[in-house]
Amino acid sequence: MDHAETMDVGVGVPVMATGLVAGPPVGPVGPAVRFGEGRRPESALQVQVAEFEGPLALLLSLIEARQLDVLTVPLGGLAEAYLDALATLDADRLGNVSAFVSVASQLILIKSRAMLPRRPVLDPTALADEGVDPEAELRARLLLYRAHRDAGQRMAEEALRRIGLFRREPGVAHAAAIAGARPGEGPILDPVRLGRALARLVVIAPPVDLPPEVMARTITITERAAIIRDALRDAPTVVLQDLLAGVRDRVVIAITFLAMLELMKRREIVVEQAEPWGPIVARTTTAQERAAAGVGDLSDDEPLDETLESFA
Amino acid sequence: MSDETLAPIELTEAALEALLFVAERPLSRREIASIAGTDRDTVDARLGDLEVSLLERGIRLVTDGDRVELATAAEGGALVARYIGADAVRLSNASLETLAIVAYRQPVTKSAIERIRGVDSDYTIRTLLHRRFVVELGRSEAPGRPFLYGTGFEFLERFGLTSIEELPPLDVEVAARLADEGNEPVTEPMFAEETD
Repeated sequence: MDHAETMDVGVGVPVMATGLVAGPPVGPVGPAVRFGEGRRPESALQVQVAEFEGPLALLLSLIEARQLDVLTVPLGGLAEAYLDALATLDADRLGNVSAFVSVASQLILIKSRAMLPRRPVLDPTALADEGVDPEAELRARLLLYRAHRDAGQRMAEEALRRIGLFRREPGVAHAAAIAGARPGEGPILDPVRLGRALARLVVIAPPVDLPPEVMARTITITERAAIIRDALRDAPTVVLQDLLAGVRDRVVIAITFLAMLELMKRREIVVEQAEPWGPIVARTTTAQERAAAGVGDLSDDEPLDETLESFA
Repeated sequence: MSDETLAPIELTEAALEALLFVAERPLSRREIASIAGTDRDTVDARLGDLEVSLLERGIRLVTDGDRVELATAAEGGALVARYIGADAVRLSNASLETLAIVAYRQPVTKSAIERIRGVDSDYTIRTLLHRRFVVELGRSEAPGRPFLYGTGFEFLERFGLTSIEELPPLDVEVAARLADEGNEPVTEPMFAEETD
């Protein structure tokens, strides 16, 4: 937002502009306008001000640029310079233009009154009929504005010198200093009050009836292996297809098959299938077969591998 | 918190210092009186003692109306700032002059600020509110009940002031002139009482 500004205000001396430009408030207050270097005063009438922060700021900057005294300068004489500056306002600043125009009209009024011959003041009460002197009123506003503007600058200079006071904020001091974040200054909430609020909330929103939980059926290899073992106790052979007759659950079928494979691996049973898609016939291994394979007596106690890691 | 009355604890200067030391926020005089089970006069007296004692130390008593807190002295600001990585406050000129108006004329309404600045100050005030340099003190009794603005602890801390009274006086020449002319164009007709 730091635009260049040039303006002729009749003295032809280059002066840097800082007064109205938004930015770090470092350094002394300067006028808001910069004079066109090398231009002749009468030709350099264009002014570009980066950020008009107000009509009083602009008017004051014109006075200060001319190194005139606010207390004594005839304000009407600044009307032209002020209007020249005003003419450069962009359309998108229309929100503030009315304030500038208001001061412009005041300046024109002051100038016009100054041009008129003055009546000799015979009766002091006669002046009262003319209302408040616009020049005195505008001057008072300028002085008041300048006092606060300068006070702000002094505050900024002091803040720069002192940097600040820091309160003790355990754990958050670092973050607070950097982010400007800090805990609220309100009183700590009474836990009893919080408890009451929670109780009220419970009344307002009673607990909903949860739907009955659907428990997933767990089918284990051990469970299906037990069925195979039981079947083999009653019969010399068991046909897998017969064992699973009527079972539609594919998981049950698959786990039963895995259980059968697990029993085969443990040399508990021998499984034979004469032809593809034919009956899968299982029988218990004989003692000789187990001895030949190097395994001992049958034991149902040893847990089966449920992780299927051996199939991976 | 229990409603039962607790036994009073003698509010010595050291006890008060200890209390403010552990507090993570400014405490009101009423709060301190309530915690110690003592009266406001005792709190005021001990705070006065503490303020004087601390003048030779690296800690200061920062006062904003009814509330007080302990903060580092301005002399230690640079060192502490270097330790925690803080920097001096930086504001635009518009924010600075608005803040000065609030600081010197609080409680003040937006329209009073705008009369002095001669320009709409809504955005600037909102920015200052957001940064907590300016706080809402309540509402004016004037038509429309506009908000009254003042400065908060954040302002005092960031501008290195232990109280608003530390602000240098406004331009005396201007003040005298305005007084002579009886011209006080920004005086509000009525102000509401400051609220907590």
